[in-house]
Amino acid sequence: MLILAIDTSADETAAAVTSERKVLSNVRYSQILLHKKWGGIYPSVAKRAHEERIDWVVDETFKKLKVKSEKLKVEDVDYIAVTQGPGLAVALEVGIKKAVELAKKYKKKLISVNHLEGHIYSCFVQNSNGNPKRDFRFPYLALIVSGGHTEIVLFKDQVDYKVLGETRDDAAGEALDKAARMLGFGYPGGSVIERLASEVDNKDFFNFPRPMIKSNNLDFSFSGLKTSFYYFLHSRVIARSKATKQSHLRSPRPAFGGTRDDNNIALDIRQLASSFQEAVFETLLIKTDLAIKQTTINRIVVGGGVIANLYLRKLLRILVKKYRGEVLFPPFKYLTGDNAAMIGVAANYKAKKRLFVKDFKLERIPRLRLS
Amino acid sequence: MKIIPLEKAKMREILTVLNAGGLIVSPSDTVYGLLADATSENAVQKLTQFKNRPPGKPISVFVSDFSMLKEQVEIEKKQLRLLQELLPGPFTVILPSEHKVSPLLESEKRTIGLRIPDYRFIKTLVRNFGKPVTATSANLAGRSPHYSVQSLLNELPENKKKLIDLIVDAGMLPRNKPSTIVDLTAPQIKILRQGDIVFKDKKTYISKSPAQTIKIAAFILQKILREKSKKPLIFILEGELGVGKTVFVKGIGEFLGIKNIISPTYVVYYEYVSINQLIETFVHVDLYNIQEADEFKYLGLEKYLKKGNLLCFEWGEKAGEIIDLLKQKGKIAYVRIRYISEKKREITIRFGQSQMSKLKSQNQNSKL
Repeated sequence: MLILAIDTSADETAAAVTSERKVLSNVRYSQILLHKKWGGIYPSVAKRAHEERIDWVVDETFKKLKVKSEKLKVEDVDYIAVTQGPGLAVALEVGIKKAVELAKKYKKKLISVNHLEGHIYSCFVQNSNGNPKRDFRFPYLALIVSGGHTEIVLFKDQVDYKVLGETRDDAAGEALDKAARMLGFGYPGGSVIERLASEVDNKDFFNFPRPMIKSNNLDFSFSGLKTSFYYFLHSRVIARSKATKQSHLRSPRPAFGGTRDDNNIALDIRQLASSFQEAVFETLLIKTDLAIKQTTINRIVVGGGVIANLYLRKLLRILVKKYRGEVLFPPFKYLTGDNAAMIGVAANYKAKKRLFVKDFKLERIPRLRLS
Repeated sequence: MKIIPLEKAKMREILTVLNAGGLIVSPSDTVYGLLADATSENAVQKLTQFKNRPPGKPISVFVSDFSMLKEQVEIEKKQLRLLQELLPGPFTVILPSEHKVSPLLESEKRTIGLRIPDYRFIKTLVRNFGKPVTATSANLAGRSPHYSVQSLLNELPENKKKLIDLIVDAGMLPRNKPSTIVDLTAPQIKILRQGDIVFKDKKTYISKSPAQTIKIAAFILQKILREKSKKPLIFILEGELGVGKTVFVKGIGEFLGIKNIISPTYVVYYEYVSINQLIETFVHVDLYNIQEADEFKYLGLEKYLKKGNLLCFEWGEKAGEIIDLLKQKGKIAYVRIRYISEKKREITIRFGQSQMSKLKSQNQNSKL
């Protein structure tokens, strides 16, 4: 069963051709470089870039595709899948428009996929040789941690989900990005924080709050942590500028970057980054632990950009060991970010359940929920 | 003692009880309250007997609108302007009494506490009754107020129950705090009791928690929505990182029945469908990542600028040039949130010039 999948939920223009769980061809046009300038996704830029690149990306996907040394075209696929949401409205529209157009033109059935489903299935994506050969051993707990999402989902069976907890404000990845920005670094900030934290052995120096860990539910909230961090930095800046008779407060964003040369402060920044990351990760760990206890499910799948962080992977491995369970991560690095391969694999299971879009009527839903 | 559900309550029956000097337990915009004819000595005596209220402790009254309010108290123009910004709402205001209600309700200084509730049932009732009605919480003196009839009845001994003539039951009320009590008799406004919504002056609110910020946001939105508009409504929020801008937007969303608002930073904006009749689409925009104001015009938000839509812009200070476009096409409310301390915030609301004058004239003509 060949599927052409398209994802334009945020800043990647992505297409892939998959067969069952195998990725036969995968193309992404990353806009990260484009957005670095803006310090994040920039809607109009994203929309224009998606529009300019979507045709090229789809063509390229087929150019790279070979099945038994035979060239394939769009008409050769069985289904066309596309991300309906969640994501940026103007970006989603571009992918949906293209998918609908192709499905109509080649009379293919259309499959709508929730971007979060994609992240959940990313742990089961295989390369073109069918590796890794992971079997499904339901039920799972799925932890999704990215720049836009933080959720714990009960993954009961194929295409069967129940959201157990989610963030009420900021996502974990967003919190890390914002903390990086407060420390004077650019977008995306998560990897900078990871590096700085590893330089001080991921230790916790300042003990920032672990939000909502006493709530006994599985929801997250990272905005209060952001407030504490901001307030903490500001009080330090005030103290320091009083000492040096120099005000850092007037700049629109706290420009800690400007003082990075100073050795003492450089140490400070590493400690700050590490302590902040520790607060975010420990919160994720505590909630995952609670989810394991509440559901008695000890098998976990993790998806989303934040799980590119190797230290977080280590912490999760230690956690499941305690419960004699297992934890699966996306097997290839590109699967942690946004991509269409995971959308194609999720669509495969939707096709098996005959879950198709009726009459090519598909509206983007920017805050689409898993159900 | 008779219990009737709110939806079956008949105005005539209730007015008969009040006219006969009876006591009525009624739901309100805050907690369950005790209603009695505020001008009847007997009715008020029965009320103080019920509450075990020590003599000399004042009891506030409900009035239906500003014209009834003006009959009851001495009020200066400046004070009136402040009240027109706030009422109806969860506030009790203290002013010098004109002594038209029972003296038992007044303080030793001969002042009286007044409420114009934001609760249709009580407003209609008081308007039909044509006189002020007592507005004290339905609990014994020194006890906590009640959010359900059941919890009130559990507290009451039989002899107290006998004093109640009628109970209007609206089930479980939302856990709103009792009203904020504001003393306007001193030269400086004094807050005597903090309810959910605390203000400093007519444009400035004080929040001590995210929960309070949410309530303040809903309160402000509710006020604005009383005025019909042919333009989209636009909130422009300003304030430092972590100050609670998204929390404020959550309050706006909750009022519109949207409970799943999260930070849109990652995608710049999210669009939601409102279940409120007055608002169709709700758009939550975060300009945090925007660095150059002139690029702003490419956001693709113009299509949302139409009647019946509500847009909230976080980091509104970055809106720059587009402010002119927004001003031209929409009705704007500026919200500035400031850190007072790590937990405490000051929320200031400011409207465009035309908006302000319209709001005033509308309030003066209001028939509440």
